[in-house]
Amino acid sequence: MRENKLRSVWAIISLNGFLPMKRSPLFLINTLTSPFSFLFFLLVVGGSGYLIYGVSGGMVLTTLSIGTSLQGDLTHYRADLKFQEMVVATPVKEGTFVAAMALSELVYSIPGMAVFVILSFFYAHYILFGGVVILASLILLWIFASALGFTLATYFADVRESFMVAPIVSIFLSVVPPVYYPITRLPAYLQPIAYIAPTTWAARLVQGAMGITPLTLPEALLDGGILLAAAIILFLIAWKKAQWRET
Amino acid sequence: MPQALVAKKVCRRYKWRGGHHDALTDVSLEVPRGTILGLIGRNGAGKTTFLRIASTTLLPTSGEVRVLDHDVVTEATAVRERIAVIPQEARPFYWMTPKELVYYYLTMRGESRADAAAKTKDAIAELGLNSWENTVVNRLSGGLRRKAMVAMVMASDADVLFLDEPTTGLDPVARRSVWEAIRKATKANRTIFLTTHYLDEAESLSDRLALLEGGHLLASGSRADLAGRVRRPYRVVVEGGFSEEELKSYGEVGRVGDRLMLFTGENEARELSKQALEKGVRLSLGPVSLEDIFLQMVGQEISVDATEEDYA
Repeated sequence: MRENKLRSVWAIISLNGFLPMKRSPLFLINTLTSPFSFLFFLLVVGGSGYLIYGVSGGMVLTTLSIGTSLQGDLTHYRADLKFQEMVVATPVKEGTFVAAMALSELVYSIPGMAVFVILSFFYAHYILFGGVVILASLILLWIFASALGFTLATYFADVRESFMVAPIVSIFLSVVPPVYYPITRLPAYLQPIAYIAPTTWAARLVQGAMGITPLTLPEALLDGGILLAAAIILFLIAWKKAQWRET
Repeated sequence: MPQALVAKKVCRRYKWRGGHHDALTDVSLEVPRGTILGLIGRNGAGKTTFLRIASTTLLPTSGEVRVLDHDVVTEATAVRERIAVIPQEARPFYWMTPKELVYYYLTMRGESRADAAAKTKDAIAELGLNSWENTVVNRLSGGLRRKAMVAMVMASDADVLFLDEPTTGLDPVARRSVWEAIRKATKANRTIFLTTHYLDEAESLSDRLALLEGGHLLASGSRADLAGRVRRPYRVVVEGGFSEEELKSYGEVGRVGDRLMLFTGENEARELSKQALEKGVRLSLGPVSLEDIFLQMVGQEISVDATEEDYA
């Protein structure tokens, strides 16, 4: 039987996305804990004025968490369940598998993202085409995060190792970068470090689109361009690292 | 008879800093279509390495493997369209039911929803999984989990199934129920490539056997072919009446508890029987078992201490 990409993608989304969520809501709750904890924290500490940072940061962090989950799942499926080896010996191609896995992780993000979008309607002051800017930014961030998760997963032979790395990556990509606050709040010496993380550029775009921080067209194009470049570079690295067959 | 698998001088070398290990050396093998081949050998003999090369998940260092006339290196896509694998120590998703496992595996392979549903129903029924079809894997016994995995590949349209130690860790009853499932999977013209270190499993399931030791193929063929290749095709066990020294002139002697065991030839076996009758000594005699053949060829007992990964 030849590969049927749509059927393969649908099957993988179902078995890695819908079915686990249906059987155990904990899968869903787990992905919501971090962004909603930050939201709560900001609300308590900063008051309602800071809620919007929690909403914009929540969108970015929820998208970023797709990469972390993907990294854990891919390591688990390869090292523990040997599922990847089963898939290799089928008509399914490596690109289809990775894309389907990345899409399946989106399933967990949808409920959280829906809540943030609804909240944003109440608290954000969207600029013209703000929704388009946010959507484009989050798509690029999703590609970046998925490619990063895939690349990191290739390094681990054990799922525990993989889980240990996830919080470190998370600090570098979501705590130091100004995901939950404007970059001006960071000490000057930390700002260059923050700009290394693509999440900084995504957060700037989302915050700008929601009218939290000023965003001019040239700035938006620059931020978007850098985010696009980061996504392409990570995608190429992931493609190179893809070892469908052990050499 | 057309061949499902042809391997020619397959080598696989694992390299690491300062050294290497040859997991396979010049392995040549043929598996006719529609047969079950049992690849036997101790842990670390190279069984999984060979299976992974043949099933396109590992590249050989040199040599050639063709599955259904397609080269596994240069025509991997064509091979993958016609094979299915249960890797060693593979486990099903614990949140899924056997029915879902089979259905989504088939859909992932490209079957339409209707075909996948019909084939799932058939496979579940054929393997006697109806009572558990909607029970999540987490609540199933080890044997049922394995049967669910066999159902996945069995329901597929694959012409060649690769099963890597499908019953390791299962109790005897569960093992036999998986054997039954594997036998049912041998549909018309479907080939099964099975690796195992359980000789009773290989003997019970396989039409042909291949014996790997230290990455070398020691022998292959039917059980009778293998028996014909050992120098001493009879096994004699005596309880007293003969000294070890006396028996050594008849063949290869070993001690099994209080008894002496001897591998010997036909004429020697006759002579010993005659002497045992004269002495009034209890003696049992018969053709060698597959385990005896293995012992004679390998010269050691099967060990479960090492694993294939120890050499990888």
